[in-house]
Amino acid sequence: MEFLNNLKNIMLPEIIIILFIFIQIILSMILDLKHYKLSKWITVLGIFLATSMCTKVQIDPLYSGFKNAIISDNYTIFFKVLILVSSFFIVFLTKRTITTRRGNAFQFNSLILTAILGALTLVSSNDFITMFISMETLTFALFFLIAFERGHVSKEATFKYLIISAIASAVFLFGVSYLYGITGFFNFTSIYDYFIEKNPTLLYSMATIMITCGLAFKLGVIPFANWILDIYEGASTSVVTFLSIIPKVAMFGILARLLVFPLSYSFELTFVLVTISVVTAIWANGLAIRQTNIKRLLACSSSANAAYVLFAAALVSVFNLSTVLFYLIAYIFMNIGVFAAVIILESSEFSNYLYEFKNFAYTNPVFTLCFATCILGLAGFPITAGFISKVYLFSAIARSGLIFLPFLVILMFTIVISVYYYLRVVKLMFEKSDVVASEVIAHKTSSAIVILYCCATITIVLGICPSKIIELCQLIAYNV
Amino acid sequence: MHFISILALIFSPLVAASLLFSPFFKNNEVRIRRFSKGFASLHLLYSLGFLAFFNPVNDDISYYKEITFFGTSWIQPLGLKMAFGMDGISLLMVILTSFIFLLALIASKSNIRSKHKFYYSMIFLLQTALLGVFCARDMFLFFMFWELELIPMYFLIGQWGGGKCKASAMKFVLYTFLGSLFMLLGILLLHFYNFATYGNMTADFSTISVTAPEFPMFMQVLISILLLIGFAVKMPIVPLHTWLPDAHVDAPTPVSMILAAILLKMGAYGLIRFNMQLLPDAFKIIAPILMIFALINIIYTALIAYAQTDLKKIVAYSSISNMGIVILGLCSLNVIGFSGAIFQMIAHGVISAGLFMLVGIIYIRTKTREMVDLGGLGTAMPRLMGFALILALASVGLPLLMGFVGEFLVFLGAFNSSYDTIVPIKIYTVLAISILILSAAYMFRLLHKTFFANIFEKWNNLNDIMNHEFVVLFALVSAIGFFGIFPMAIINIIQPVLTDILQYLQI
Repeated sequence: MEFLNNLKNIMLPEIIIILFIFIQIILSMILDLKHYKLSKWITVLGIFLATSMCTKVQIDPLYSGFKNAIISDNYTIFFKVLILVSSFFIVFLTKRTITTRRGNAFQFNSLILTAILGALTLVSSNDFITMFISMETLTFALFFLIAFERGHVSKEATFKYLIISAIASAVFLFGVSYLYGITGFFNFTSIYDYFIEKNPTLLYSMATIMITCGLAFKLGVIPFANWILDIYEGASTSVVTFLSIIPKVAMFGILARLLVFPLSYSFELTFVLVTISVVTAIWANGLAIRQTNIKRLLACSSSANAAYVLFAAALVSVFNLSTVLFYLIAYIFMNIGVFAAVIILESSEFSNYLYEFKNFAYTNPVFTLCFATCILGLAGFPITAGFISKVYLFSAIARSGLIFLPFLVILMFTIVISVYYYLRVVKLMFEKSDVVASEVIAHKTSSAIVILYCCATITIVLGICPSKIIELCQLIAYNV
Repeated sequence: MHFISILALIFSPLVAASLLFSPFFKNNEVRIRRFSKGFASLHLLYSLGFLAFFNPVNDDISYYKEITFFGTSWIQPLGLKMAFGMDGISLLMVILTSFIFLLALIASKSNIRSKHKFYYSMIFLLQTALLGVFCARDMFLFFMFWELELIPMYFLIGQWGGGKCKASAMKFVLYTFLGSLFMLLGILLLHFYNFATYGNMTADFSTISVTAPEFPMFMQVLISILLLIGFAVKMPIVPLHTWLPDAHVDAPTPVSMILAAILLKMGAYGLIRFNMQLLPDAFKIIAPILMIFALINIIYTALIAYAQTDLKKIVAYSSISNMGIVILGLCSLNVIGFSGAIFQMIAHGVISAGLFMLVGIIYIRTKTREMVDLGGLGTAMPRLMGFALILALASVGLPLLMGFVGEFLVFLGAFNSSYDTIVPIKIYTVLAISILILSAAYMFRLLHKTFFANIFEKWNNLNDIMNHEFVVLFALVSAIGFFGIFPMAIINIIQPVLTDILQYLQI
């Protein structure tokens, strides 16, 4: 009876998602495989229902169910809504992936929903076992999604992802086992309480570092960052959009909670994370300079952005947490916008290489304007959400102590590098060239175009009046 | 009084930019140009209206206005406000901006041959960004407009420039972006330590006060240096100046005019607003060091200018040299030097715009800027030569012209300044006065080699200046003459601000 109560009180969005996974699988058995639109709208309906069920979840006061394995408060519901809204956008971008593959739309969408399910339980998990299972649910669905594209490149990418993911999981579990050995608990709260009375040892620091390094895989930061370029290139673009947002958001959600509760006693960990973040920023931004493929470039960019957020998240404080939340919101919309533009280009038979972007400003001015807005937002130019989020993030880092200022200065140098490669993309669109035929962008991808326009608008609106969203982020951060 | 709204002043260029994309203009080049020029003239008149209602005796902020979104300020949790206002210095810079933009738009006629709609909308976006910088009353708002200016400048240099313009534009953006990130760090620290010391979450220029002893001195100096790096890139101060010659040489003439006349002044304006007004105690410490940089700026770049053969490079390096005089005046920390520095900012804005226009006119006709290839242009272009003579003399600092007043006041102020530096300040001033000789050397060499000297057959049939070029040069030259004779017109406006700023700075 308690089990059912728990389900009713906090698991409703997940239950809806599970229900729709089954609907998709059953339909894939009885219907013809070509029902792309039906499958898409069923997914959209599922995500919409799950989002609306988020209002039914008990969040205040904090609810912990299933023997304290899963909790629900403002913070988890914020991340759940964020994940659901961004996957709502991403589902509209998947058309081309399925139609060119002539794949089974129901299978594809059930995999997407499974990954969402993993992400949802990940952010609300409160012990290491639940967390590991959700993480693997998310990762398993991603293996098949990456392999969905035709050709050997995507298979190679999947295999790479599989192996590195296995190593990362092993490192993570090793750390968890140490922590269990020290404390005898898997539960975050219990571990946190355990160290209130006892002093943390060096072994504890070791365990925390191993756990966060294992999680670094999903964020795409060093030491497990080298998968990111090949997989972004190999997988189909809509899957890459999914890959660059959902696992990252979910992982930052749980990582911030870990850093606030069970891993908060280690000073060494802070410095390790800050170093990791700075090294990743140098690595990713340096690597991006030479990229000629937009997807590889965006891989570097997503890795670099993860590094900036990790820096702020590592210096645990309430204010830092609110900046992390705002940065994630801004980043999601700019990133979806950029990927939507890439998908539009792909369906108009452009390749992913940057030199094909020439002439766009003169043949498709509105498209270029929106695309450039999202790109300049990622670079951090004003009147976009990217500017506000970067300023806000740095304000958090700057007030965390003078000792981190040199790291911040290095980070700023790498941001200047990033301005170079983002501006190069914009520059190419304004270049005139006679060699490349100036095709008009096809209208068969109307949903992607709508999403691009939406994201560009949100980027601008968040850049001009961010006050309400920042207040929301602060409210959530103060109640963790 | 109701029709004088600072928001209309700042954002009306944006409206004009979006109007350019209406179907009325299609791709009608003439119509776009005429609309732009007409709008810029109205904007200049409107900004003069602000002068008419400005009350210089009152040292408060005039025309203060704050934008709110649904009842909350810009970024309420951090106490940031989207607030605009003017004091004397802002007002002068705003009028200079409107004036130079009008002239630059007139000059665009013969320089811009393609993508008109894009060009004029970018110019208007740039104008909004610059007006925003000069009118912002909040540190973060200032920073936002400071960064916003990069996007139109990138396109203006990169799309319509010549030579290696794409690389130069990128260099300009990266340099400024790097500098402004240091500035951002300084602003963030200032914002936070002001909050930590006084418990007042604000970034408003008028409510931030770090004069109290509770604010740690080390922090003040650190913030001051970080901010200075950002402004030094823009101004530019010598080790960080290498973007400027490239950007100037490759930019089209109207953009060069704007760059020299207004963008360089942003650095000096920021120095006054932040380092002098907000952190006076720290500025007293760094001023003697800054003075050495100013001296290097003045003499070193003047010597480089003498070594150049490209006309535009000479003018570009002379700009850096002139900005050195501005810094020297600011570092003298007394009313005379300070008013001289601000006067020099305006004077250099007007004179350098004229000089770049001059070089542009020559380049359009001869397709070269190398002094070796030029010579004897005076025979074919007597009217241009007349203007060139006045502009060069003003740049050198001939009495009764605008350049003289600024330089004279700066040197007078610096000489009378009572500082304790390692080398007495009087020696610095005497060394800096050598600029009068050096600038005469490179300017007269430029005049001589271009308009006199070898008379080449091929330049005998050049057209003299056309009407629109005449208008631009005449407007600039009359401003030079008027304010050279009647400098108090400018100094009276800034007097109240100066005393306000200097009450914490005077030694």
